[in-house]
Amino acid sequence: MTDDATRTLGKGSIPPGPVPEGIIRLYSMRFCPYAHRTRLVLRAKGIRHEVININLRNKPEWYFTKHPFGQIPVLENSKCQLIYESVIACEYLDDAYPGRKLYPYDPYERARQKMLLELFYKVPHLTKECLVALRCGRDCADLKLALRQEFCNLEEILGYQNTVFFGGDCISMIDYLFWPWFERLDVYGIADCVNHTPALRLWIAAMKQDPTVCSLLTDKNTFLGFLNLYFQNNPGAFDYGLSC
Amino acid sequence: MSGGSARSLGKGSAPPGPVPEGLIRVYSMRFCPYAQRTRLVLTAKGIRHEVININLKNKPEWFFKKNPSGLVPVLETSQGQLICESAITCEYLDEAYPEKKLLPGDPYEKACQKMVFESFSKVPPLISGIVRTQNKEDCSGLKEELRKEITKLEEVLTAKKTTFFGGNSLSMIDYLIWPWFERLEALELNECVDHTPALKLWMAAMKKDPTVSSLLTDVKTFQGFFNLYLQNSPEACDYGL
Repeated sequence: MTDDATRTLGKGSIPPGPVPEGIIRLYSMRFCPYAHRTRLVLRAKGIRHEVININLRNKPEWYFTKHPFGQIPVLENSKCQLIYESVIACEYLDDAYPGRKLYPYDPYERARQKMLLELFYKVPHLTKECLVALRCGRDCADLKLALRQEFCNLEEILGYQNTVFFGGDCISMIDYLFWPWFERLDVYGIADCVNHTPALRLWIAAMKQDPTVCSLLTDKNTFLGFLNLYFQNNPGAFDYGLSC
Repeated sequence: MSGGSARSLGKGSAPPGPVPEGLIRVYSMRFCPYAQRTRLVLTAKGIRHEVININLKNKPEWFFKKNPSGLVPVLETSQGQLICESAITCEYLDEAYPEKKLLPGDPYEKACQKMVFESFSKVPPLISGIVRTQNKEDCSGLKEELRKEITKLEEVLTAKKTTFFGGNSLSMIDYLIWPWFERLEALELNECVDHTPALKLWMAAMKKDPTVSSLLTDVKTFQGFFNLYLQNSPEACDYGL
């Protein structure tokens, strides 16, 4: 069970108090891939944190004081400083907290990881469009083709570098930034999009062996349960799988 | 001499040799706002560099080896390392050349600059859209959207109560957004900053910065370039030389 297994806060909920010193707070949602990035970094760096899950279909009024459009993820520290946009939040954590650095030290290698992130930018939108199309019974052959093309680009990078991970032989920030969408391929029904990209499949297998990735893996049935309710517009979707 | 006024290289040109040690090269185009970001940072930090201008309407085949997308700016080091995407080039320069830091050292202040940068991100495509639109009606819709985005930036500045977007001195975020504000007058879009007094003050302060003013292009030259560029003329990129 992960540390974010708490019920969401929705409209009418009491705003949470200030963040206690010594921890950082993440506003999140258990199934959101963008927030997943931030949870991976928090876990990988061993940062003491608390998670407040937000009901995205029934947002608390107070949440708009944390983010102008009520989006997640948002970090809040004990100085009341707010950081949003998943990539900015992840970089902030790497800069602000000591210990294991997820971005490389070398400026050129850092730039390379940021250039790789640019290569990835179409993937979130395409995977979401495929999911929606499949769930609505529409054909998504064109979308899958486009997604496969993006995966080919990533495959080329791994081939050219001849490394297991996108940043080299060890897992690093860029791998964590990509991972959430690959974890969802199977449950979205588009796992066949990596059929022709063997290096990418090896990367996926290697990622599943990473302790951080492992500790935050959501099991398929829980995810399907969430997706079923989400596509029925059920506001209870976000709390699917919680025991109480 | 930075060589920023050199004629552009086009199809059939010989590829340039390796970058000499002690220098960094930027592939650029004199009127490109994205490349201007990189040139602003190179100049502000006093980094020894050479500029190779690319004819974007007639690209040399060898340039696609520097950047497969064929876009400027691209940085090339004497070790043959290539860095693309304007914001990435700017951050690379700030990290690789530690003197005169443009990004704040404090992680939260640095994150704030990145959040402002995100806020700004709708402005460049809106301005490109306006430049390309011939139809007055479509234009007024885009101009309205642009005004909205500019108002957001005004709100950021007034909330901060400082002259510049990063505080009371000029810093990275100011250089990253400046090139589009520099072009407002030439594009007859000054009206978009009519109701934004803090931004007007910021623009005036920016024009006084030695780095900004050393790279300033006058309105007539911009307009000459835009005319030729919109006609897809291969002469556009060298206008005024």
